[in-house]
Amino acid sequence: MAAKRHPMFEKNRFGKFFVYFMMLFWAGYFVFFGVIFSFAFTDIFPTMEPYHIMNKGLLIVLSIDFLMRFIFQKTSTQEVKHYLLLPIKKKKLFNILLYKSGVNGYNAFWQFMMVPFATLTVFKIYGIKGIIGYCLGFYLLMVLNNFWYLLCRTLMNEKTVFVLIPITFYGILAAIEFALGNPISTATMNLGESFIKCDFMSILSFLGVGLAIYGLAAINRYLMFKNLYAELSKSSDSKIKRVSEYKFFERFGEVGEYCRLELKLLFRNKRSKTMFRMSCFLIIMLTAMLFGPSYDGPVGKSFVVIYNFAILGIMMLTQVMSFEGNYLDGLMSRKESIYNLLRAKYYFYCCATIIPFILMIPAVVMGKITILMLFAYAFFTTGFIYCILLQLAVYNCKTTPLNESVIGRQATGTGFQSLISASAFGIPLLISNLLRICLGQTASLWILLISGVILTLTSHIWIKNIYKRFMVRRYKNMDGFRTTK
Amino acid sequence: MATITINNLQKNFGEKRACDIEQYIINNGDMLGLVGNNGAGKTTLFRLMLDLLQADNGTVQINNIESNRSEEWKKITGAFIDESFLIDYLTPEEYFYFIGKMYELTKEQVDERLVIFERFMGDEVLGQKKYIRNFSAGNKQKIGIIAAMIHHPELLILDEPFNFLDPSSQSIIKHILKKYNEESGATILISSHNLNHTTDICPRIALLENGKIIRDIDNKEFTAEKELEEYFNVD
Repeated sequence: MAAKRHPMFEKNRFGKFFVYFMMLFWAGYFVFFGVIFSFAFTDIFPTMEPYHIMNKGLLIVLSIDFLMRFIFQKTSTQEVKHYLLLPIKKKKLFNILLYKSGVNGYNAFWQFMMVPFATLTVFKIYGIKGIIGYCLGFYLLMVLNNFWYLLCRTLMNEKTVFVLIPITFYGILAAIEFALGNPISTATMNLGESFIKCDFMSILSFLGVGLAIYGLAAINRYLMFKNLYAELSKSSDSKIKRVSEYKFFERFGEVGEYCRLELKLLFRNKRSKTMFRMSCFLIIMLTAMLFGPSYDGPVGKSFVVIYNFAILGIMMLTQVMSFEGNYLDGLMSRKESIYNLLRAKYYFYCCATIIPFILMIPAVVMGKITILMLFAYAFFTTGFIYCILLQLAVYNCKTTPLNESVIGRQATGTGFQSLISASAFGIPLLISNLLRICLGQTASLWILLISGVILTLTSHIWIKNIYKRFMVRRYKNMDGFRTTK
Repeated sequence: MATITINNLQKNFGEKRACDIEQYIINNGDMLGLVGNNGAGKTTLFRLMLDLLQADNGTVQINNIESNRSEEWKKITGAFIDESFLIDYLTPEEYFYFIGKMYELTKEQVDERLVIFERFMGDEVLGQKKYIRNFSAGNKQKIGIIAAMIHHPELLILDEPFNFLDPSSQSIIKHILKKYNEESGATILISSHNLNHTTDICPRIALLENGKIIRDIDNKEFTAEKELEEYFNVD
């Protein structure tokens, strides 16, 4: 209901359509996987039943599911504060939230794969009873995985160092599996088979998984109690040890002041900080990819270099004005502050391209890419890509909470946001490769460089244009920002 | 100095008319108190004046500049409506310097201008090494009010400035506002549910009901309180 009654629910038709489309797409994909696996396992492992292979890989499926939950699921502790003032006992409230999490439809999503797989592989031996037992057992394992994820996530919210728990856990399981002659996959194979057989062992298996679910749910409830007040008071930064001043920006007047504000926005708020860290991680990964053999071709190289320059802008500038939506009234009551804010953002992210530029210099020295390519894509980013991304300043009208997690409330943007970020992702690659095919590598790079330089040098003109269009739409945007706060 | 002229101003939210003012002039140096029940349209009127809302009809002119057509009036205006005016990941000092910079004030000038607010802030605002988001509602209110006044605006608009403040802070801000109005001749608009405070400091009071200014009360002789108490049925 919270989602359905959100002010943006009706407005964000594209987003809704996109979400349903993606769900349908993935459901279809899972069905496809279920069918393909059943045939593939039969062909590749003729001496074993396909479900034995699937059961041997159960831990891999559960690990993938665990990782996917980081994208789609938030912890129950994050949801609890909305209900705390209601006359309900905390214990009951936590139980309800945990129950809600346990019966969440996401836990059943894997059934799109399991039902066709079981129908094609289990039915011929164990009949309908086998399918039901297998799918039910698999579903219970997903519920168990749900509580395991909640446990890890709650701990990780408390201290980042707890990320070592799942890493250590999966690391130990992998070590045991490879060092001691596959005992883990054998155990999961037996577990899976016991679900299928529907005999006395099956009852024990179901009971065992049920008990594990109960145990993990109880631990989660204990942690929720323990972390509740920390989550509510968000006291982690109530006293700062050192206030960074970034005095360097003082010499650049009002625009410098907004650059400084941008830096503080990045480093002092949970959501923007996470997004910035993710961008840095991706920049390092992309740089590393440049040195591998997989991206030696021209398409691969242009992909890596363009996105290395553009990724920070794509992550942060798609949210342009959405973070500021939290304090937009204050900005709007000051003359031309939005114009200076946009200029500051542009200059800031232009300067930020220096980081991937420096990181990729060794690749130039090693002859992996040319210096022309580096300059061409750097200016193509600051000219063309940023010009596209900053257009969102006119259309973004949904406030992004500064301190909610990236996967928390309002994780998705507006339809236009999705469209522009998809365009910023796809169009540059398309343009650069089309030009390369038509005109050759060097000529295409010169065209990108020259067009990028022109757009960069004329940035003040198109930013002014964005500002003017923003001012025309300001009431609509302000209303949107206010209602989504 | 600032004169505000309202002409045929209307704003509807669905069926509800939140503002409906045919003509109203707030003169240079006026200190106007806006009173009315919840939903009477006080905040809406302020937002319309500050061009934070689009009027369905009519205009607000600040020194003959239509507030929705030019931004020139923003240089001489200071306002604090609610927390959406605060950049809450800054410390109060950073926020004041940031606002100061918007009006071309140096850090030293900002520090100088903060002196008169020392009593108002107490020991709870400056030097706390805390981001604004971690301050109490009362201290956030103080930060917002000070930030609105730091550039010595000719027009000051404050929505419910006494909210969340402890009694001594309420008394101090009353004196600061009164003194600022007398010394600078600035036009000050405040809305409040606190009739005592409003009648204490505002020589002119506008009473709003369903978006309309139904009474324009002269309070130079502090006579408005009785009339307002009768209207609000205060025993």
